[in-house]
Amino acid sequence: MSLHDLLQHPAIWRAREQCDTAGRAALPTGYAALDRCLPGGGWPPQGLIEILADRTGIGELSLFLPTLARLCGDAQECGWLAWISPPHPPYAPALAACGIDVERVLVVRAPPAEWAMEQALRSGACSAVLGWAASRDRRSLRRLQLAAEQARCMAVLFRSLREAREPSPAVLRIALEGGRHGLEARILKSRGGRATSVQLGWIAATVPAHAH
Amino acid sequence: MARSGRPRVAPEVPPSPASAPVPEARERPRLQSALGGGRRRGAGDPGAAAAAARELWVAVHLPHYILESLQAAHPAPRDDGPTVAGGPVVIVDLERGAKVICDRDARAGAAGVRPGMALNSALALQPDLCVLPRDLRRERALLEVVAGLALGFTPRVNLEPPDGVLLEVRGSLRLFGGARQLCDLLRRQLQSRGLEPRIALTPAPLASLWFARAGEEVALGRPDALPSRLAPLPLAVTRWPERTLQALATMGVRSVGDCLRLPRDGLARRFEPRLCLELDRARGVARDPRAGYRAAERFTARCDLEPEVADTERLRRACEPLLDELCEFLRGRGAGIESLELRLLHRDAAATRLRLRFAEPVASVARIMTLLRERLAGAGLPEPVRTVRLRSGPLLEARAEAADLFALDRRRRACAVPQLVERLRARLGDGAVHGLCLVPEHRPEAAQRSGEIGDILPFSPRHSGTAGMPRKAGGRAGECPLFSRLARPVWLLAEPQPLEGGEQPRYEGPLEIEEGPERIESGWWDGHDVQRDYYVARTPAGIRLWVFRERRAPAGWFLHGVFG
Repeated sequence: MSLHDLLQHPAIWRAREQCDTAGRAALPTGYAALDRCLPGGGWPPQGLIEILADRTGIGELSLFLPTLARLCGDAQECGWLAWISPPHPPYAPALAACGIDVERVLVVRAPPAEWAMEQALRSGACSAVLGWAASRDRRSLRRLQLAAEQARCMAVLFRSLREAREPSPAVLRIALEGGRHGLEARILKSRGGRATSVQLGWIAATVPAHAH
Repeated sequence: MARSGRPRVAPEVPPSPASAPVPEARERPRLQSALGGGRRRGAGDPGAAAAAARELWVAVHLPHYILESLQAAHPAPRDDGPTVAGGPVVIVDLERGAKVICDRDARAGAAGVRPGMALNSALALQPDLCVLPRDLRRERALLEVVAGLALGFTPRVNLEPPDGVLLEVRGSLRLFGGARQLCDLLRRQLQSRGLEPRIALTPAPLASLWFARAGEEVALGRPDALPSRLAPLPLAVTRWPERTLQALATMGVRSVGDCLRLPRDGLARRFEPRLCLELDRARGVARDPRAGYRAAERFTARCDLEPEVADTERLRRACEPLLDELCEFLRGRGAGIESLELRLLHRDAAATRLRLRFAEPVASVARIMTLLRERLAGAGLPEPVRTVRLRSGPLLEARAEAADLFALDRRRRACAVPQLVERLRARLGDGAVHGLCLVPEHRPEAAQRSGEIGDILPFSPRHSGTAGMPRKAGGRAGECPLFSRLARPVWLLAEPQPLEGGEQPRYEGPLEIEEGPERIESGWWDGHDVQRDYYVARTPAGIRLWVFRERRAPAGWFLHGVFG
């Protein structure tokens, strides 16, 4: 194995490249303010993204809808979107309105989301896996992070804001809070980037179909 | 047809000076037979010889098939060697009302037990014999197992009951790297099943069979050498009737060579004409048409566990050889299965049934095993298991992998989806995994349904016309004009929740209306009609909700969805 091959491994990143791993560019979030704060200008293509929010509906999913729509539109990707134990049933017309191909959505109702999420990541069938987890098990988080590093797949885990104090192996951790002025994202941890806070305002509830 | 029939006619009516007045009707055959007799040495069909030169037949003979058929049902631990648990084993059969040994294992053989011995004599030699009755059904099943293995080498397989299988392998030589490699591989596969085969390869099927029965593992490529190599074989390998063999023996004819030297017409007259035909066939000069073997439409197998097994991990290991067999069987037919039934029989309790379902036709042990492991771990066994029975669902055409240079990644993803779905389903239940499907409907709750994954898999082989091609994405916003301009929440509650607050709806504080109203009135035709005004509202905490005001009798505000 040559040094070049070795450096292509997704687990290795060089500091000067600021997390531009394995030639896979970061996935633009669709929100310019957020893109500016993230290394590479978007969601990390590999590794676990942890979203900490106490409430469902403050816009935590809207953050990802443009990226999901773009993944669906990418002919090369052609993967599935797995939704693992979502808090409510996802609504197909809304997803379709955002440009997501609902025929490629896989909904899994699994009380322990971690196992199903790991399976989905390791299967190589998905281009994005979204999971909602309640457990606080550090080991399962670590396993998820490892699976997410090795997969060619965006991995997002939604957890409670209380977990913000706990350490986490995730590549990117963002705490979300809604309020009078709209959504505020606090980047708690960002590999290759820096912790900062960004005011996103009222992000569109449904992204118009021509947004991507 | 006429050409191939000629050698059969030739010996039938030989010119016989000894025969009494010959009826007129026999005149014509007599002429023919004179012709046949004239080239007696080279008798046969040049076409048949050419066919023999083109074909190569492997014969598999199982000298201990009776014992081995029962061992397959009583699998011994692999490190223990090919013996049934307990003492030396003998198989007995009823012969004229007496129990007679028809086969024995090596340990019983060492004690002096021979086939044909009465059971009592055998017990006198070796008192701790383990006596098993003969089972014809299992012997047949064993032969089918061998035939199933053989189908992995060639599509042309014939059964030679009770103990032989023939394979025509000329067309497979290149794939397996030559006759020797092919025979070695076949032998290894048979030995891994605990069988001790005799394998011979010649251009004539009957000759291969005779060599294999004699225990001579020859590999002859050309038919010319057949007569000389066949000559030393004892006549018993022909399995001619006992009376015939005895009569020949009294004439001093003990080997195939002796028999070939006899005048053909005399041989045909004194014994059956079949003898000459078989000799010709063995020499490769007469055609030897055979009915091909067709494998069963479903696979069934059973395995008795001795002792009984209560531990799922050991049970899984016990199932492994059955699955190996199953996959060998599937590979031979170029097929896959979508369902598999496993019945675990207990001593008293009702049998435990496990049904494995796959999202696409599968034929790989590893894939079946992953599912089986999940199911076994989840199945509560009421009692230890005595017998495992396996029954496959109908065989389906396995999906052939098309090599596409440019869409490697896409294909890998497409292949992985069914596996992921069946893994998740095996652990979480069938209902836990579903897809989404749009329905053109105005009522929000009716505008989608959860789709069966099998229906919506774009790469499912059922869409045979477009197999391997991604279907046009049907869920794109552009094709769904109903929803493209309207605000719809990402989460839709299963049931609308009533909101408190009367005319000023509250949800953790007063709601602030952002958009609306959007009036939806529909469904009067099926009894679920709705008359609602929908609004997008925001709570003080910044949560965006989809709420509606009911316009019918118990009016009021309801929460129906949450914008993610």
